[in-house]
Amino acid sequence: MKTQTLCIKYETMMKFITALLIILFISLPQSSFAEVDPLQQGISNKNPGSDLWRAVRQRTVQIQGVSQVKTVDSNILINPQADKWTRFRINELTNFGLILLGSVLALILVFFLLRGKVNIDGGLSGNMVFRFNDYERVLHWVLALVFLFLALTGLTLLFGRTLLIPVFGHEVFSLLASSSKEAHNLFGPIFIVSLLLMLIRFVKKNIYAKGDLTWLLKGGGMVGKSHVTGGFFNMGEKSWYWLVILVGLGISVTGLILLFPNFGQGRILMELSHILHVIGALALIAVSFGHMYLGSVGTEGTNESMKSGYVDIKWAEAHHDRWAKHCHDNDLIVSADEFAKLKGTSNSPLNSVSSSVAELNK
Amino acid sequence: MINDFIDGPLWTFSLIVFCVGVVWKLTVILFSKRQVDLSVPRNSSFNGAVKTIFSRFVADKGTAPQIKLQIVAGYMFHLGLFALLLFAAPHINFLDEHFLGFSWSAMPHWAFIVASEIAFLGLLMLWLHRVLNHVSRLISTADDHIASILTFVVMFTGCLALLESFNELRLIHRFSVELLLIYFPFSSLMHAFTFIPSRAFTGAWFGRRGISS
Repeated sequence: MKTQTLCIKYETMMKFITALLIILFISLPQSSFAEVDPLQQGISNKNPGSDLWRAVRQRTVQIQGVSQVKTVDSNILINPQADKWTRFRINELTNFGLILLGSVLALILVFFLLRGKVNIDGGLSGNMVFRFNDYERVLHWVLALVFLFLALTGLTLLFGRTLLIPVFGHEVFSLLASSSKEAHNLFGPIFIVSLLLMLIRFVKKNIYAKGDLTWLLKGGGMVGKSHVTGGFFNMGEKSWYWLVILVGLGISVTGLILLFPNFGQGRILMELSHILHVIGALALIAVSFGHMYLGSVGTEGTNESMKSGYVDIKWAEAHHDRWAKHCHDNDLIVSADEFAKLKGTSNSPLNSVSSSVAELNK
Repeated sequence: MINDFIDGPLWTFSLIVFCVGVVWKLTVILFSKRQVDLSVPRNSSFNGAVKTIFSRFVADKGTAPQIKLQIVAGYMFHLGLFALLLFAAPHINFLDEHFLGFSWSAMPHWAFIVASEIAFLGLLMLWLHRVLNHVSRLISTADDHIASILTFVVMFTGCLALLESFNELRLIHRFSVELLLIYFPFSSLMHAFTFIPSRAFTGAWFGRRGISS
């Protein structure tokens, strides 16, 4: 009997312990028992540092610390400004550039379709007057060629992500971008030198004078039929000259800041320089389209001045009447025959020399 | 495929053409028949030759004011090119590894950039003058333009390949060098080798006759 009572007590106690264990098992988190895959654990758990880094990155101020590296900005952990600059560079600046250059090209096309080529009244005479010497023409073309080259390489870098990667792919663009950057950096200083030489050579003739404003008010003769007066350089040419010099110097200074980061300039100055560099360059490229248009197909007889150095006297009278009067007064006009001899397009002694050289070379 | 061709057979071929061509041209010039001068020498031919080799580095006083652009641009280009050719680190390493077995001090990177910019500006000005000046244009031949453009391309591709970040850029540079080497002996570029014998010949002739020029 006693044994039976003990058995019942033991059985009751075991049931109680089992129930207690079941309750304990259910109440404990499953992770305490399961064999959990460490990879799954990493994915399901949040990175304990993510909140910290998010808080760091999303602050509007730069967090400064202490670093053993003693260079500019080396004690700044994260520069939140750089993200804004990157987005501005990729989106706004690129779109602005495309719209600006596209609009200017479209405007020039519309102008050409409406106005056509501006011809000289009564046509060119063939009698010429000397305008630019060898050095001046060489200088002009050095600056022009280097400018065009820098524009091409610079636009490749600016619009590459938008326009070139979809066409050529990443690998080809990588090669192209690297070459463009190297070439741009290499030819940049040549642009500065030629710009300074241009400043020195033409500064006297480009100082604004009486009568220039009238030229501007009459739209330089491009609008309407009224004649506009001008000296050796007219108001439009002078303004182009000063735009090239001043914006060119701005581009040069910002370019040098970007080219030599070893002089202690900070990241913010470099970002600002980059934006100013691009905006200045885009402005110059846009206006240069107009310059190229007027110098080639836009006006009759203009391109000869930078080819041979001579211009037709009728062209001079139409665009630079005060200078043309000076040429008339001082008997500086070269006849068509003399000019043909100078150019070597007639049976001149120079042509004989040319033929002899050709014979010798054979 | 094309890589192996540029680095291998084309390189060998261009070197052979260059070396044989230059030696052949110089031999023809040096051993060409000329009239024996029977006059009594008034002065030393040797002194005249040495003097003229160096005196011709300075432009004649009478013509210098008319050709300032060519003098300045000419010196800029030639000195820049000389520095690039002989003192650029990749060139020195290349000559050391493939031909000479010894090397010399290379100029620093910044000096390379300055030298190349001086050379580019000089070459650009010279070529533009050739195209824009009436007389220069008339006496220029296709060879002059090809030589200028080829030299420009070699310098330009060399500068792009300077960082050695892309093998393609190195190959383009090497290919342009090979074209230049093949073209060199048959062009006005030969003046790199002939200017000294030419000056020496003229100077010796002047010296023998006692002409001071």
